[in-house]
Amino acid sequence: MPGDTRTPALRTRLLVAMVGPLLLAAVVIGLVGATLIADVVRRTSDRVLGGALGAIAETVQVERGEVTLDLPAAAFGMLENGERDNVYYRIAVGGELLTGYADLSAPDPATLAVDVPRYRFARYRDQDIRIAEVRRALPRIDRPVVIQIAETLDNRRALNRRLMIALLIGECVLVGAAALLLRPALGWSLRPLARLRGAVEARDERARPDFSPLEAGPLPSELRPLAQAFDRLLAQLDSATGGVRRFTADASHQMRTPLSVLKVQVALARRGSGGERAEALDEIAEAVTRLERLVTQLLALARAEEAGVSAPLEAVDLREVAGAVITRLFAQAMEAGVELTLEGDERPVVPGHRTLIFEILSNLIDNGIRYNRRGGTVSVRLAVVDTATLMIVADDGPGIPAGHRDAAFERFVRLGAAGSPEGSGLGLAIVRSAAARLNATVELEDAERGTVVVVRFPSA
Amino acid sequence: MRILMIEDDAALARGIAALLRAGGHAVDHVATGRDALAVVAGEPYAVVILDVGLPDIDGFTVLARLRERGDRVPVLMLTARDALDDRVRGLDLGADDYLRKPFEPEELEARVRALGRRRGGDPLPVLGVGTLTINRSSGEAKVGDRTLDLRRRERTVLEALATRAGRVVPRELLIGEVFGFDEPVGGNAIEVHVTRLRGKLAPDGPEIRTVRGVGYMLDAG
Repeated sequence: MPGDTRTPALRTRLLVAMVGPLLLAAVVIGLVGATLIADVVRRTSDRVLGGALGAIAETVQVERGEVTLDLPAAAFGMLENGERDNVYYRIAVGGELLTGYADLSAPDPATLAVDVPRYRFARYRDQDIRIAEVRRALPRIDRPVVIQIAETLDNRRALNRRLMIALLIGECVLVGAAALLLRPALGWSLRPLARLRGAVEARDERARPDFSPLEAGPLPSELRPLAQAFDRLLAQLDSATGGVRRFTADASHQMRTPLSVLKVQVALARRGSGGERAEALDEIAEAVTRLERLVTQLLALARAEEAGVSAPLEAVDLREVAGAVITRLFAQAMEAGVELTLEGDERPVVPGHRTLIFEILSNLIDNGIRYNRRGGTVSVRLAVVDTATLMIVADDGPGIPAGHRDAAFERFVRLGAAGSPEGSGLGLAIVRSAAARLNATVELEDAERGTVVVVRFPSA
Repeated sequence: MRILMIEDDAALARGIAALLRAGGHAVDHVATGRDALAVVAGEPYAVVILDVGLPDIDGFTVLARLRERGDRVPVLMLTARDALDDRVRGLDLGADDYLRKPFEPEELEARVRALGRRRGGDPLPVLGVGTLTINRSSGEAKVGDRTLDLRRRERTVLEALATRAGRVVPRELLIGEVFGFDEPVGGNAIEVHVTRLRGKLAPDGPEIRTVRGVGYMLDAG
């Protein structure tokens, strides 16, 4: 919806749809990463601490019934690092301190398996420490020998921090880059859409509406249905406006001849005198009547083509309508010396629009009167057969040859040679349009003489 | 001038015929292309007015057939259509002029006169023979400063002779050019007009000579 502020722009939508989940993913990756990093840091540092523990433990021996050891410098060298962590150790035999820091947290030797180092966190001198401890069984010494080595956690923490910072930087770069690249990526993705818009807008600028399919070049598969839908809409518009264009062109074309007559006769009336002027005025009156009829019929045709689209069908009493039409055209028929009759005594009712049925009958009877001979008749017959209700209008005129019947329904087609009655050529076109609105069909049928028109309303 | 009008609309045909006859022309009318093609060959028409929309064969086809036969009669096309293509097509097929409905009657008359002059090979609106001058646009004829009071037919006869001044104009050609085919032509119809003309031209105007058994000739002066 244009101007609908509740609908965010496509860019915003994509930004939310992409960057949101990406952030969430970053948080999850961060959490998992933190756990993994902590684990890896602990394991690697423990391995070093365990290495130092092993190096010390190996030097523990029994010499003349006494437990001795030789603290190797290399063991402490292993533990040196940039953070200058403190290192503590304690070697005890049966709970008695042999060497080291006496107050270092001592384990219960019973919980320690022989030669399997154990690691634990503890507090010592107000610092967090990591202790590696192992129990050794020495020959001829029945008391347990427990070797412990511990270090403060500064190096572990520093390592952990460095790795976490690297991870976070990586994540920030990823999310940031995605957000930044979204704009150009979106622009690039939307370029076919812009091209499509350009193709549509180009139509605006042309003086004459152009309803040929859009020329937007190759489109991505997502946009193709849109372009196709648009092309279909254009085609519909084309046929709709084409109808209007043809209609107005035909109508103006049809008016030019009586207008020419008017201009010529007005000129003659101005110049002439007496009898010439009276003659010209008669011609003018005739041309005006012709134009009037043409305009009336054009309006009727326009009405027939748009009417009934939305209005609900009503029950129409055909006999009543036929009576009304005959009453209206009676004077015209009298003047032409044509008799109008309504035959049969059935009273069929069909679903439809009274106006349209009135229009159909008016035009058919009017044609019947115009293209008739003096003393002829125009008969209207109403009949109900198995599948349909029929409205039959027959006249005593010259008839329409079988080969010309299709053409007779075309607009402005007037059959017959010059000198036949002046008609607009719209009558049957109006009938056909109106009948189509009512789902009725109109046919010209063979007859011994005259024209027989059958309007067939399908049974409901 | 003798004019052939091909127009299927009876009311318009009546109007144009009345208009042109009032201007001193002899007008024949046919309503179909076929009739037009049959009639145009036999008669000395000065101008043909041809409607494009005809019930049998359209005006363009009529025009094309005329020109195929080598007929050079000036043709003025009348059409209810607007399209430029139509105008171009008509002119390219050999039409001499083009008028769109609804037209101004004065314009139709003027264009018909202009086409008629061109047919005679002389587009000048004023024709001079010695002391006689004929304005072919207004229809006014003068000898010196004296304006001749001519009837419609007399003017047509005089113009027909004046465009061929110094040459003998056969009597049949004169009749063909002056009378339409639905006008009754008496045995001495032309003589009557010529006699009256002589009276009006005398004494200072050019003389109309009778070439016995052949026709008439206006002295070139």
